[in-house]
Amino acid sequence: MKVKFSMVPLLALVMMVLPITQQAQAQEGASAPTITLDKTTLDNGGEITISGQAPAGSQVYIELFSADKTVKANRFDSKKDPKTGVIPYKFYLTHELPAAYKIYVPKDMEPELEKARAVGKDWKYSEVLKKIGADVAYSAPAKIKIDSYQATIMASIIGSRGTLLDAMDEKENKRESMRLIKGRFRSVNNLLAANVETTPDGAYTAKIKLRTGLAPGKYNVITTAVTERIKDGDKEIVKKVKSEPAAFENTMTFPTVYLDTAGTSLNLVWPFFIALAVTVFGALMGAGGGFILNPLLVMFFPLPHTVVAGTVMPTVLFSQGSGIYNYSKIKFINWRLGIGIGSAMLLGGFIGPKLTELITLSQFKFAFGWILLVLAGLMYWQTTAGYLSKNKKEQAILKEFKKRAEEAAASKAN
Amino acid sequence: MKVEFWGQDFEVNMWVGCIGGFLIAIMSSMFGFGGGPFMVPLMTVALGLPMYIVVGSSLLAIFFNTGMATIRHMQFGNFDLLLFLIMFPAALLGGYLGPQIAKRLSPLVVKRVACVGLILLGLKLLDLY
Repeated sequence: MKVKFSMVPLLALVMMVLPITQQAQAQEGASAPTITLDKTTLDNGGEITISGQAPAGSQVYIELFSADKTVKANRFDSKKDPKTGVIPYKFYLTHELPAAYKIYVPKDMEPELEKARAVGKDWKYSEVLKKIGADVAYSAPAKIKIDSYQATIMASIIGSRGTLLDAMDEKENKRESMRLIKGRFRSVNNLLAANVETTPDGAYTAKIKLRTGLAPGKYNVITTAVTERIKDGDKEIVKKVKSEPAAFENTMTFPTVYLDTAGTSLNLVWPFFIALAVTVFGALMGAGGGFILNPLLVMFFPLPHTVVAGTVMPTVLFSQGSGIYNYSKIKFINWRLGIGIGSAMLLGGFIGPKLTELITLSQFKFAFGWILLVLAGLMYWQTTAGYLSKNKKEQAILKEFKKRAEEAAASKAN
Repeated sequence: MKVEFWGQDFEVNMWVGCIGGFLIAIMSSMFGFGGGPFMVPLMTVALGLPMYIVVGSSLLAIFFNTGMATIRHMQFGNFDLLLFLIMFPAALLGGYLGPQIAKRLSPLVVKRVACVGLILLGLKLLDLY
């Protein structure tokens, strides 16, 4: 036992020295890949060809990211740690995630991506990166500043994010950045594509398609060429060389606009018409627009659910305000009742937005699905015979009151 | 609590009203909708109030929630100004056009159509088709 313990630091020392010497060799042995782009600007996405010369026989990965636009991303970790059985309740938040991010990998890795796609929305980004060796190209988001908070139930109730924890170490930061990236861009196709072709002499080309709806501005492209992978027990030593960043510009023309907070650009005609149609329909069925508007927005556009909820809320605020004004003119509001229940709702409104941050998009969709089914039940109930006959009487009283109120207002005016 | 409305007196159980309102407020501010269709049944069925007192007063109660939730969402950086500026005029226009069209349609038919639409949308969100 004693011998084994003393061996450990020695081994660690050897392992630490090994990569350093090998990296030095690699830098001597292989020169950095060159990189050229066939275009300098794209108009809201499009095709661009990246080509260059890498060391012969190397694997080529291309990292692409938005260089000057960042978005906010957050994740709440409430999954039980399988090793310790403790639920961490940690909240991670960053404002520095690149607004667009993708890694292009060699063509022959397509089967691995296919497998990841088959897993569905719970695919593991970091595992796939490792499997296809693309983790060596993952660099831009690795060092972003991520704040981590220890959340507690009490803190969530009073609407706080919890206590700010010490900054994570480099490795942890990188791992968490991958989770945030996955949460933000969601699908395999948004994050990875297998389309880099290389010839035996190391010349590579990749025809990449930048999808529409991404951030405008400067994009950086960096090529990473892996010349050798040496398995050393559990550890893998990777010899790699990186190119200088090449850049292009993604432009946008009106009516396509970039939403800063949401990190998405879209043709503003669509949300306008959706909002219009939904509010018209909402007025018909007697419910505010939010019920239908929110699910449609998260379904059709790559908008985070937090931004959708946070932006629809003030939109309905004004229609409610005008409704209150109209009712108050004809004295149709009981202020005591409204303010009484309203003060309880004020408290609820303080807590709710905090909870939006704690759930993922799929949880948001799941809960919203059930809410809509309950709402459909309520709507159906309002068309049943019993409800209608009761409603008819009350509508008659309502009309009578309204008439009286209007007469009172008219006589006052005269 | 006693409330008076157009010469009539109603007895309201504020405990039920406040706890129900509180829970509806959490849900609606979390998911970003107004919550009227939930408040109205709460006040008519659970509190036993007639419809004509509920319509205006529930709107006032909800307004508190929406106002607070708006401030909180802005604090957390969830408010996108540009998206708001796109949707806001649409909402105003819709709020004007809606009641005009409503006059010409049977509310019964509208509600049944809404019911089917909501079920379809709900099932879609639950990933069932």
